Amino acid sequence: MRVLSTVKFTALRMIRNYIVLLLLLVVPIVLISVFAIILSDTVTESGERPLHGIAKIMVVSFQLFAGSIVMSYIQHEFFTAHKMRLGVLPFRKELYAFSIMMCGTVFSILLGVALMTYSQFVLGVPWGNWAWSIYVIALMSVLSSTVCLIFTFSVRNFKLAERLSEVYGVGFIALAGLFFPMPNNAFFDFMGSYGNPLVLSMLSIQAMEQSDAGEAWFTANILLGAIVLLFLLMLALGRRKMA
Amino acid sequence: MTVFQFVLKRSFRNVTNLIFLTLFPAACIFLPQGDPWPLLPYGYQFFGILLLFVSIRLTLNIQADRATGVMKRLSVAPLSHFRYLSQNLLAYLLIIAAQCTLVVYGGVLYGQPLYQPFLLLILYISYSLAALAVALAWVSFFRNKDVAFFGFVSLVFLVAVLGGLMIPVSMFPEWLARIAVLFPTYWLAEGQNWIVFGGKSGEFLFVNVILWIYAIVFMIIGSMRKIH
Repeated sequence: MRVLSTVKFTALRMIRNYIVLLLLLVVPIVLISVFAIILSDTVTESGERPLHGIAKIMVVSFQLFAGSIVMSYIQHEFFTAHKMRLGVLPFRKELYAFSIMMCGTVFSILLGVALMTYSQFVLGVPWGNWAWSIYVIALMSVLSSTVCLIFTFSVRNFKLAERLSEVYGVGFIALAGLFFPMPNNAFFDFMGSYGNPLVLSMLSIQAMEQSDAGEAWFTANILLGAIVLLFLLMLALGRRKMA
Repeated sequence: MTVFQFVLKRSFRNVTNLIFLTLFPAACIFLPQGDPWPLLPYGYQFFGILLLFVSIRLTLNIQADRATGVMKRLSVAPLSHFRYLSQNLLAYLLIIAAQCTLVVYGGVLYGQPLYQPFLLLILYISYSLAALAVALAWVSFFRNKDVAFFGFVSLVFLVAVLGGLMIPVSMFPEWLARIAVLFPTYWLAEGQNWIVFGGKSGEFLFVNVILWIYAIVFMIIGSMRKIH
């Protein structure tokens, strides 16, 4: 229970981290706004606005970088600056690590919700089923935190782990074919559909909009399955590293 | 030219830098062509954005020298600030020019349609000068390396979109298209259009001159600060 008293301070530290706020809140807001200005009059032949898809993909894709917040705090608290202090504190380290992870994840979800709110009420991007969209964003955030912590625990050099987390984010955006079309073969087809968290979450949100609950649950459950598996792996690696 | 040699070694010593300076540019050669846009293959469109990242990675060395007090020691050494800065920049320019050559002529060997490779190389080098100068000016305002780097990354996203490297300027509303002229990326995109469609050689020269003016102005801003 003593860990609960630290949550407030962890949250404060995260809210005061201006670089994270710049990269995960200000930049996406400005970028989505710029796209909205450019694509404001563009309508496809079927009467859809390309802006809506682009804005949603951007909001969700910024969740791929959620883990970098958690990663830097865990590194700072457990392996570098505060390592010795934590050893003498009268609480369970695992719980504290878990609370940091939860704070970072929730913080990232809140940023995502802020972006959703902005895009819907300022730029007119309809998010359809809000509860479902937030659930999917939460899944993405947890997945990203888990993956980044796996990097933190398994790679000896933290700088390299940070780079790997960037590769995870940028890589899946590229594999989704947002930068340029991917080659057509079995591997890239899989990595551009069911093997790609970004695409899975987009499919899930779209399916729920078209009230195809079966497909939406199916894609979200793939994400959930990945989270459970990776979470167990992360626990094992974390125990080894903390010991 | 001791500083020059040292900077060359230093730029390649860091693994991340090595990837940025060799692997990413090489990857640009192999990206597919867009249909109907961009006019040049994707890799050559994104290379302009990559050059901005490369510039900041390189100029952060100068920033690190300021932050760690190396500059203070240099200021009492028999080495003028001008020589320090010019040799640094010369080394960076050499690295970037080598990259541009690799990307352009690698593309020619690979069989990418580059229309006029030599002029494209000239354009990239002019643009790199501007990119280096902007990065140099940017790092002279920050003490913290992370703030400088991530701030610049945010700037790159914006400049890339607003300059017409991600979306063609012809799609912009009129007032935004007029603002786009302010960004070096716009002139890179213009130069690339000229290389694809051809035109009067005066127009191409004009694009390059604009980029050089950028380089000169930002170089002056960036070289004013000596020591924090």
